[in-house]
Amino acid sequence: MTASSHPVVDLAGVSKSYGDLTALRSADLVVHRGELLAVVGPSGSGKSTMLNIMGTLDRPTAGKVRIAGHDIDELRDRDLSALRAATIGFVFQQFHLARGVPALDSVADGLLYSGRGRAERRELAERALRRVGLGRRLYHEPHQLSGGEKQRVAIARAVLGDPPLLLADEPTGALDSRSGAVVMELLHELHEAGTTVVVITHDRDIAASLPREVRLKDGRIEYDSALGDAPAGELVAAEGGLR
Amino acid sequence: MSLTTTDRDTGRPPWRDLPPPPRPKAARMGPADVVRVGGSGLRARPMRVFLSALGIAIGIAAMIGVVGISTSSTHDLNQRLAALGTNLLTVSPGESFDGGQAHLPTTSLAMIRDIPEVETVSALGKTSAKVYRNDHVPVAQSGGLRVTAARTDLLAAIGAELTDGTWLNAATSRYPAVVLGSHAAEQLGIHYAGPEVKVWLGDRWFTVVGLLAPNELLPDLDSNAMVGWAVAEEELGFDGYPTSVYTRVEESAVGDVQAKLGATANPEFPNEVDVSRPSDVLAAKEATDDTLSGLLLGLGGVSLLVGGVGVANTMVISVLERRSEIGLRRSLGATRGQIRTQFLAEALLLSALGGIGGVLLGIGVTIAYASYQGMSTVVPVWAMAGGIGATLVIGGLAGFYPALRAARLPPTEALATS
Ligand SMILES: Nc1ncnc2c1ncn2[C@@H]1O[C@H](COP(=O)(O)OP(=O)(O)OP(=O)(O)O)[C@@H](O)[C@H]1O
Ligand SMILES: [Mg+2]
Repeated sequence: MTASSHPVVDLAGVSKSYGDLTALRSADLVVHRGELLAVVGPSGSGKSTMLNIMGTLDRPTAGKVRIAGHDIDELRDRDLSALRAATIGFVFQQFHLARGVPALDSVADGLLYSGRGRAERRELAERALRRVGLGRRLYHEPHQLSGGEKQRVAIARAVLGDPPLLLADEPTGALDSRSGAVVMELLHELHEAGTTVVVITHDRDIAASLPREVRLKDGRIEYDSALGDAPAGELVAAEGGLR
Repeated sequence: MSLTTTDRDTGRPPWRDLPPPPRPKAARMGPADVVRVGGSGLRARPMRVFLSALGIAIGIAAMIGVVGISTSSTHDLNQRLAALGTNLLTVSPGESFDGGQAHLPTTSLAMIRDIPEVETVSALGKTSAKVYRNDHVPVAQSGGLRVTAARTDLLAAIGAELTDGTWLNAATSRYPAVVLGSHAAEQLGIHYAGPEVKVWLGDRWFTVVGLLAPNELLPDLDSNAMVGWAVAEEELGFDGYPTSVYTRVEESAVGDVQAKLGATANPEFPNEVDVSRPSDVLAAKEATDDTLSGLLLGLGGVSLLVGGVGVANTMVISVLERRSEIGLRRSLGATRGQIRTQFLAEALLLSALGGIGGVLLGIGVTIAYASYQGMSTVVPVWAMAGGIGATLVIGGLAGFYPALRAARLPPTEALATS
């Protein structure tokens, strides 16, 4: 990594308030190309708020957001859409698969707004589905798929255009531990193939297994394993009381 | 990994000085994708789509039906008129200036015949005689039938047809022979002509030598019992004045001749002459009832409006229900404009579906009516195009507000709804 490349995510003093409530308080976070990091924290600590800002789905109340070198303040809404189409893949806890739509079509829609032709989109979709191990489920509709398979379809939709950044908000939240493990395995593979992956998770074991961990509490970044601001042991001890 | 964090010496990470990448540019969606995405929302809810399209369809069908039926009727009338000929003019005496019944001069036939564009001229003259089935029928029961004296060339001049027997000729017009109009024959209970078939006319028996077919152009003839000019003068006290002069003129000169016919027939008192064109009278009588058509069109318009409100309602509900889909699409990179286009396309498709269904339904109604009436079906293309066009306008209006709401929805808010 050299200074000649922009980090994928660069948050500097980013805050987000909803009226009196401050969901995110002057967060500083830099994510470089090729990283795989977990964002953890208790419910309501601002994880989704931060992920949405990283994904340009929301703008901060204060602070500077740069995504792949783009200063968000300088982009109009339609530019942000274009940035998402080309640069960012999303995976959500709810899979967001349309009823009655075959997996192949759902996945192909991942590039609907990218300007690529339908034939190419479907070809890439088939390849992406094979990549997530669903080569035999191309024409299955959501109701014919298990929860884990649905999430793999959603992941295929997020990555078929090979976006540099993949943001996953509790991708295993609605899955049993076995399916969750398969999904995490998939995220590891994508990371190894070069994608930058940010995963929000409640699962302590999952978080601990990832190369980098960022902890949020009450809207503040309380710990970032890349900075080593707080000793991990101390935090584990502090949170032990909550178990 | 010094680069993962801020450069603590300068307080400024080195990449912040890199030139920014070019501004990302939103890609356009092809028309096929716009239609496909618009249709995807409809495919998921076929019953709702059917019901809201039905509202539009009924409105369009009513309008197409009204236009189709009236056009088919007009077309049919024009065809019949063309077959009957529109170049027949009739001249009859009007009121004299003192309010009494005027006469056409006996010379009028010859004068009219002298107009160069006139092809044929013939006449009927009303008598005061009555006709009965037999000599026992009380005098009061003449059933509104008229006895008229007819020229022997009348049949050819007006283009009437016989259903039985023969028309009056030079011989039979001197004898007590009569040709009955269709209504007169029916009233008198006469079904065929022949030497043994007789009716009581004036004060003696007349032989029925011919029966006329119903005459569409001159329906008055149907109630006539026509006898020869000579026998009428001799036996029935006929004064010899023609009361209806029928003339066929050159097609291109109908208007001109019609204008000067009164003055020609009665140069002394041209105002005491009524000139009419039976084909115009028939056309006016059979012209579709404009009030009824207007009412039906109005009803069609109202149901179209109600259909439009139905589509708007469906679209508002659709947007509410599909907030998370909207959020997902925004996360995939859809611009606000693309979301707006999607829902507008959905509304347009929905109402176009109704419009096409309505046009087909309207054509069906027209075919059913026309075949029941024995006419050929004519539905003007402008009506079909107008119907589809109207539904597109309605779809656009109905979809505009819901599409705007969908597009304005912030992505995070849309995604938060489950
Ligand atoms: N649109 C909003 N309007 C008002 N408050 C909001 C909004 N979105 C989030 N919040 C508040 O901001 C805080 C952070 O929310 P956020 O969704 O980021 O938490 P989270 O860490 O993702 O929690 P969870 O683990 O439950 O998903 C919460 O207190 C939440 O109630
Ligand atoms: Mg959350």
